[in-house]
Amino acid sequence: MTIRAIEKLSTSQNGLGAFILQCKRMDIHYCDHSGSSRGMNAFIKHGLQRFAAAHPQIEFAVSPRPRKHPVMVGHYINGKQKSICVKNMEASQILKKAELLRDASGDKVKRVNKPVTSVNESVRGVWSPYHGDGMAV
Amino acid sequence: MRRTRLASQLLAGAPRAARVSRISSSTTPALCTRGYASAVSGREPLSLDVEDEDALSPKELMRRSTSLPSPPPARAKYSAKLAALHARLSLSPKIPVETLARALIDPSADAHPRFNNANLACIGAALLNNHASEFLITKYPRLPMTILFTAMKGYVGNPVLHQIARAWGVEATASPGEEVDPGLLQFDINKPTAMHTSWGYVRAESAEIQRYKWRRGMSSRVMYDDAFGDLVPGQSSVSDKTGALEMRNDKNSKEMLVKDMPTNAHANFVRAVVGAVYLHCGREAAKNFIKPHFLSRTLDLASLFEFKIPTRELARLCAREDFELPVARLESETGRLSRTPVFVVGIYSGRDKLGEGTGPDLDSARKIAAMNALKAWYLYSPGVVAVPSDTLAEDAAPWKPAYVDIGEVIS
Amino acid sequence: MERPVLQPLRRLTASVNLTSIRSQSTTRRTKKALKIAPHPSFLDNGTDDHIVFNPPSSAPSVYHTPFKFLPKTDPRRQANLTQLLRASAPASSPSAPEVGGTPSFVAPKHNVTAEQIEEMRALRSSDPATWSVLALAKKFQCSNYFVLMCCRANPQHRQSEKERLEAIKARWGPIRTKAREDRQKRKVMLGRGEL
Repeated sequence: MTIRAIEKLSTSQNGLGAFILQCKRMDIHYCDHSGSSRGMNAFIKHGLQRFAAAHPQIEFAVSPRPRKHPVMVGHYINGKQKSICVKNMEASQILKKAELLRDASGDKVKRVNKPVTSVNESVRGVWSPYHGDGMAV
Repeated sequence: MRRTRLASQLLAGAPRAARVSRISSSTTPALCTRGYASAVSGREPLSLDVEDEDALSPKELMRRSTSLPSPPPARAKYSAKLAALHARLSLSPKIPVETLARALIDPSADAHPRFNNANLACIGAALLNNHASEFLITKYPRLPMTILFTAMKGYVGNPVLHQIARAWGVEATASPGEEVDPGLLQFDINKPTAMHTSWGYVRAESAEIQRYKWRRGMSSRVMYDDAFGDLVPGQSSVSDKTGALEMRNDKNSKEMLVKDMPTNAHANFVRAVVGAVYLHCGREAAKNFIKPHFLSRTLDLASLFEFKIPTRELARLCAREDFELPVARLESETGRLSRTPVFVVGIYSGRDKLGEGTGPDLDSARKIAAMNALKAWYLYSPGVVAVPSDTLAEDAAPWKPAYVDIGEVIS
Repeated sequence: MERPVLQPLRRLTASVNLTSIRSQSTTRRTKKALKIAPHPSFLDNGTDDHIVFNPPSSAPSVYHTPFKFLPKTDPRRQANLTQLLRASAPASSPSAPEVGGTPSFVAPKHNVTAEQIEEMRALRSSDPATWSVLALAKKFQCSNYFVLMCCRANPQHRQSEKERLEAIKARWGPIRTKAREDRQKRKVMLGRGEL
């Protein structure tokens, strides 16, 4: 047998094929008495149920944190966490923050300076000085 | 952690003394609760080593008599993790969360076949291997067997399924038990697990192959080994025959261990989910589940090849296919007398160019060109063609035979 | 009329070209130099629709199957008429020279008969030192590889050859040993497509 195989694993790109929402759990902390939690309490009473029903993929955990500012923590599939302090915010602003946590991938924020990032090689291949007719510059 | 052949014992489901009596919930769906009340009676960890119960401490006996090895199915619908996992995978509502909870229980956590995922994983493995192999064979009909096996491993092998389970957001428990959340993957690295071996032939000489490292030819792997060309361990090993002397030798029993228990457990969970989809939603749904989750992944098959004598193999190929003998021609070069020369060599058969390679010397450029020509042969793809399982659908067109190459050039 | 003081300076100007070249690279100059016109095929040449033909200047991909490797049933084979005609035409001498010392390709001759192989084996077993692989290949006009396929020296001869090789290897210094090891590694890497 002259051919041997090198073992490699296939790689996936989320959304190509199946899409898995990366935010798997959201912790919502509030305080009953502090003024900074007023918006959060309103959000829990009026907005959270609809938001949670719209996102069954996310596990929601609501727990009090007395004498502390309200916080939302997103837990992601890659093991990272992202927490946002929502003190003194209105319920609508908190909904925006919840959507931000939902849409995040959990990766570190990276600078993207290439227009296209792809695992596929270019259709025209890697430029080589030994191929093609060559063009007068 | 010993890979013992539990499958037959598990499937038999031997009755055991009643220890726990429990009232089953009547609302849970059929698969999980069928015979639940009677099955609970036998839910004792199936331990291979026969131990005397009198020797156990009273505390241990108490613990064993009251606790179940895995969370009861009735608790599944109260688990937020499980519901979230169900929704994350966009599973059909026809699949109950209790089945998903059962898919999360490895035989090492709960040895009872009605409560672990061994049966579901067995169906799922068959489906995954079938769809992956028909996808690869019809898409790349000329792949050599060894590359095909590795590609199968790259699409639906254990390590990849482990990655997929992690990407689905599944977490494992620290240790399985009745009290843990049913949405966590439950396995125990210190307990035996079930291996799915019943679908493959077992080589009569499998013990000797493991013991003395006999050669396994590629053609016999097709026949006797599993979908990835790996040996199916036999029922009787050398150590069983020759007695305890060799049994103590750690080297002999190495092959019988599950090398990576977490990987195995995660992979079996993924297989069990596929099995559950098949069971509750049918064949087409299982196919539609496998395609986006497994077959849409990217694997560069050209990077799997490792050649030894590519020029000879190309010459044999051209002889087999009645092409003219391949000839290497120098197409362009630069810096022949410098420290970094580059030669571009093309391989021609008659007037047709078969491949091209670039190298720092003539010989390696010729070899690379031959390798590229061989890869171009092996990676021929007829494009998008029908797979055999398409014909299983209703009102499907009759099967048109797909093009598949006759086999290896040099085997 | 020149002053003698300036003579050395003049000599310097003659040897070194002191004409001013604007070689300082700036962003503007670099961008200007790199700004090339589009490929002529892309330019609008009056006609409404035309085929843009601008083949890539890159090495061919292995996923692009050569015409000869397409199976008979493949529709691409019938679609590519020019290749079909070209393949059926008699092969003229291609322009590119062949790789290797010999100017033209020498096909294997298959000239050694079964009796000659027996003779070759007898010679090799009688006196492996005299009838080395090279000598046999020369005598029977075949390749070394073919001789190696046909006969095998006796164990004593192989042992002595092995010892001779070991003695040679023992004299290698660290640099040469490492170079040989690296050569082996490169060979494996080449086969794996890592070079």
